[in-house]
Amino acid sequence: MATLLEVSGVSVTFDGFRAINNLSIAIGEPELRAVIGPNGAGKTTFMDIVTGKTRPDSGKVLWGERGIDLLKLSESQIAKAGIGRKFQKPTVFEEQSVRDNLAMALKNKRGPFSVLMWTAGAQDVARIEELAEEVGLSDRLDYRAGALSHGQKQWLEIGMLLAQDPRLLLVDEPAAGMTPAEREHTTDLLKRAAQSRAVMVIEHDMEFIRRLDCRVTVLHEGAVLAEGSLDHVTKNQQVIDVYLGR
Amino acid sequence: MSMDIPRQSLAPTKPPRRGFLRDNPSVLWFMGLLGLFTLGVTVLSEGMGIGMVSTNLVKILGMTLCLCLIAIAMDVVWGYCGILSLGHFAFFGLGGYAIGMWLMYARTEIVIRDSLGRGTIPPTPAEISEGVAAQIFGVVGSSELPLIWTFAGSLPFQLSMVVLVPGLLALVFGWLAFRSRVTGVYLSILTQAMTLALALYLFQNDTGLRGNNGLSGLQNIPGALDVPQSVLSVWFFWASALALGLGYMLFAWVVSGKFGSVIRAIRDNEARVRFLGYNVEGYKLFVFTITAIISGIAGALYYPQAGIINPAEIAPIASIYLAVWVAIGGRGRLYGAVIGAASVSLLSSWLTGGGAPNIDLGLYRIVWTDWWLVLLGLGFVAVTLFFPKGIGGLFDYLVRKS
Repeated sequence: MATLLEVSGVSVTFDGFRAINNLSIAIGEPELRAVIGPNGAGKTTFMDIVTGKTRPDSGKVLWGERGIDLLKLSESQIAKAGIGRKFQKPTVFEEQSVRDNLAMALKNKRGPFSVLMWTAGAQDVARIEELAEEVGLSDRLDYRAGALSHGQKQWLEIGMLLAQDPRLLLVDEPAAGMTPAEREHTTDLLKRAAQSRAVMVIEHDMEFIRRLDCRVTVLHEGAVLAEGSLDHVTKNQQVIDVYLGR
Repeated sequence: MSMDIPRQSLAPTKPPRRGFLRDNPSVLWFMGLLGLFTLGVTVLSEGMGIGMVSTNLVKILGMTLCLCLIAIAMDVVWGYCGILSLGHFAFFGLGGYAIGMWLMYARTEIVIRDSLGRGTIPPTPAEISEGVAAQIFGVVGSSELPLIWTFAGSLPFQLSMVVLVPGLLALVFGWLAFRSRVTGVYLSILTQAMTLALALYLFQNDTGLRGNNGLSGLQNIPGALDVPQSVLSVWFFWASALALGLGYMLFAWVVSGKFGSVIRAIRDNEARVRFLGYNVEGYKLFVFTITAIISGIAGALYYPQAGIINPAEIAPIASIYLAVWVAIGGRGRLYGAVIGAASVSLLSSWLTGGGAPNIDLGLYRIVWTDWWLVLLGLGFVAVTLFFPKGIGGLFDYLVRKS
């Protein structure tokens, strides 16, 4: 398992508030990793930094075998480099069909001229149908994404993430607002995705994390508090004090 | 979970693509109607037909088609891509100036050549050039040909300027604005400032474009000076109809496929589009520039029919009207922009041109030239509040009924 993403010594301050404090974290490929922590621990800010939405004050974020400096790339370049992100609130393009949403995410050329000339080839159509099958939206392909239920929107977004074929998936609270059956399906999806890629999941639901059965990183006040198996970190007194005990 | 979703939105949207025209039946409808309209006006015109439509009306209708062309460009940039540009009339005006320079130069050259040619010695090129300069720029107290008029005698050069000047201005302006991630109302203000600055600049006498006099006599086409206006007006009407038809096809194609999908996504949530790996700024710049070029072409067809162009044409208010037309017609559907531009601009020329009878209420007389803007303002507010989809939204209603 080679290191895919290495974040070291990153700090970021918002109006005097230290959201991330000398954070160092790394993930290999393939790997499934859960990130937990109390509210305000810096989980989402960490994802913002990796995806280029927020620039840190200091520290390094290196990517891939050649150690590309992600801090020098724009959001779209980072996405093209192979990092996909699913937001906490499902953000799909509600005015457009499920098919169009997936087609936009498909791993194809992203320049305006190539996109202008693009037409869905047999391969693309097949891939879209395969993805829809995987996230259980086969019979919803030609519906407006806005007409989907909350859980289905979450899945569509996961489908779009898979369509991008990224090497690293950053998934923010995928199970929020899902029924127990939907949660189970989501766990399976993420575990399957992690067989060939790096997947990082932010979640609050301990049951969900237990089912993921993976290494867990606990964040607190913008830094790593503990790391290891779920049983290991839940026995950690500090973790119990700041997070689990409340 | 989906209990609260209105029933009609649960229906599937269109099936996968089968072909451009089959997926966009409105394009065929539009082309058919435009063709019929062109044929009808030709048959009824003074110059080519039975004379029921006056030459002046043919010109107004031809100009209206040019306004429809810039309106669909505005719809693509605003209705589809979400960039509320309040400066697209600047590009329209620049297109008009570019062609106007050739029209004025070439015609003046013919006049000067004729008058100098009456002497015993044939005039030298320098004498002709001086004569043309004195004739065109005497009105601003100059007799020298400004640098930007160097190639004004060349039609191919000025035609390329129709495309290049608006295109390059949009490219540079857009690059600076989008790169700095200026969006929303700030971008609108910036575009407004651009068109205002350009208008103020052109109002000055020493800019080489005749200040507030503008360029005039543009209805006389060098090389066709003996063709009567009644016939010329039909030619320009045809050219305008052709340009609108081609522009409509182009934009309908651009917004129908994945490109349209991406720019609508940018309109709805541009940050999300970035995380999908699309260079949002590049797309905005592309759309801004191509719509500016089409606006320039629309202007180049409009002003020979209007006969005159001056800096007041590119004052910010013109671009605001453009946004109002598109809003009233219905954003995000090309035919909506056409309906809005045609109905509002024709209504405007009817009411302000003295065509509409004033209404005597006894105590008060409604004079339409005064009340037109109030009517337009109320109409705009009413559409925004009660019919956010504009007049074009009626078609959704009809389609759902049938």
